[in-house]
Amino acid sequence: MSGTTTDEVSMTGESAAPGETLCKLLLHPAGTNAARALVVIMMLAFWEFGSGRFLPHVWLSSPSVIGVKLWSWIADGSLGMHLVATLSAAGFGYALGALSGVASGLVLGLLPRVERVASPFVVALYALPKVALAPFFVIFLGIGLESKVALVAVTVYFLLLYNTLDGVRDLDRDLTDAFRLMGATRSEVARHVLLPGIQPWIYSGLRIAVRYAFTAAVLGELIASNQGIGYLIESSAGHYNSSGVFAGVFVLVVCSVISTELITRAERAALRWQR
Amino acid sequence: MTSPVIELKNASKDFEQGGRAIPALAPTGLNVANHEFVALVGPSGCGKSTVLNMVAGLFPPSGGQVLYEGELVADLNRRVGYMTQKDTLLPWRTTAANIAAPLELACRAMPRSERDDRVARMIELVGLKGFENHYPGELSGGMRKRAALARMLVYDPDTLLMDEPFGALDAQLKLVMHEELQRIVGDGRKTVLFVTHDLGEAIALADRVVVFTSRPGRVKKVREIELERPRNVYRVRFETAFGDLHEELWNELKDEVRKGTDA
Ligand SMILES: Nc1ncnc2c1ncn2[C@@H]1O[C@H](COP(=O)(O)OP(=O)(O)OP(=O)(O)O)[C@@H](O)[C@H]1O
Ligand SMILES: [Mg+2]
Repeated sequence: MSGTTTDEVSMTGESAAPGETLCKLLLHPAGTNAARALVVIMMLAFWEFGSGRFLPHVWLSSPSVIGVKLWSWIADGSLGMHLVATLSAAGFGYALGALSGVASGLVLGLLPRVERVASPFVVALYALPKVALAPFFVIFLGIGLESKVALVAVTVYFLLLYNTLDGVRDLDRDLTDAFRLMGATRSEVARHVLLPGIQPWIYSGLRIAVRYAFTAAVLGELIASNQGIGYLIESSAGHYNSSGVFAGVFVLVVCSVISTELITRAERAALRWQR
Repeated sequence: MTSPVIELKNASKDFEQGGRAIPALAPTGLNVANHEFVALVGPSGCGKSTVLNMVAGLFPPSGGQVLYEGELVADLNRRVGYMTQKDTLLPWRTTAANIAAPLELACRAMPRSERDDRVARMIELVGLKGFENHYPGELSGGMRKRAALARMLVYDPDTLLMDEPFGALDAQLKLVMHEELQRIVGDGRKTVLFVTHDLGEAIALADRVVVFTSRPGRVKKVREIELERPRNVYRVRFETAFGDLHEELWNELKDEVRKGTDA
């Protein structure tokens, strides 16, 4: 079916200038995807061909060698093992940080007096680059999963805390008043107005937090660990094995893209009313 | 004589703005008797919505008192149904779910089938059939008003506060809605405090019309509407008494409207 549409586009383009035809082709969704694929193929070809000729192979490796490396990791099961380590660090930390962040955001949002007292501390901790806490977590929790989970959780916590807080502040007072006038109890107002009302804010926090969760997990692994994709990258780099580094980065990109896409879909399904 | 349901005793309201108190409503006295339909008219910004907000207990008066059934309105007044000027439909609920909301609360627990029945009847009543599954963002202004009206009527509160409920409707639909409202409240079963910009609407529906001065508003004129009940809200407009009342009240109102626009 897409074949016929492409044909139609090129047919109408015959009378027009070649530049215009190209434009039309690129604007078509199939054309856009084809163009993207072409860009990737050209880059890979350039990389593959240039590697060892005018690109230093030691540093930049080459797509085929990286592919072989990736395959060897899959074959000997090491990729699976390290991937599980990174995904659990990111996943557990994300869940922990998100839950406690939303809970704290609700508490601060609903109890202005607590918020006034806590605000300077929260601001100070939020401003702190969380990576600086990594060595601290290693000392207290060791080089295993726990220290990474902690680092991820702290990072995600503040993102969700602030998004939830903004959501509560942004809540339309008229809506809560209307519900209370109808006879809603406090908990009914919370269930029917507050929680659905802050959903857009929470989803946007969750979406942004995915990237930060992976970053924090990998950073933790780079700093001190014996497993995980970050460890894989770090140890490859230690052996001047650039193909290992690229293979690790590739895996991370794939993970991050997939999880962001999943969150985005959940968001779209839950917030259908916004469109 | 029974005491009024709604009573304003020299109630006034100032709003803080940039550290200064700006008077929105001058000390105002107003009574609404049980099962009476009172319409408030007055220039924009004269404090009509402010009156309803205080009766609903959204905020206290700056001076004087607001009483409901003889008691000071201290907190949100849950014995009134309030259709606010700006609709307060939940954007994440469909029309049907919005109208069902008051029936989902614990204080009105009822079987699901009854809830669905009542919602369906309300949707029919306000002419939103076919739009049950639309979100408020997908409805026109007039449709949103009708959904808000249905949400208030569905739980059958004794007292209705209505702030320009039909403002966004076209003339024909307005007449249809007048008839429906009349049918619901007309046989003296509800107390209504009704704000409108439409003098004809006020006269056709109300037992009494209260004209406010321009800001800060106070009562300029209270007029009994002696048109007999039950009224035909459409045909009543062609009676001479209606024309006379319109003329009389418009004379009171027009100076205030002019003053309001000068300010
Ligand atoms: N929350 C508020 N803060 C500050 N000023 C307010 C507030 N609410 C109302 N006012 C002011 O009080 C005055 C009366 O407002 P109100 O909404 O009662 O007018 P209204 O008679 O309902 O007007 P309209 O017919 O345009 O709806 C207005 O001048 C308005 O600017
Ligand atoms: Mg108003």
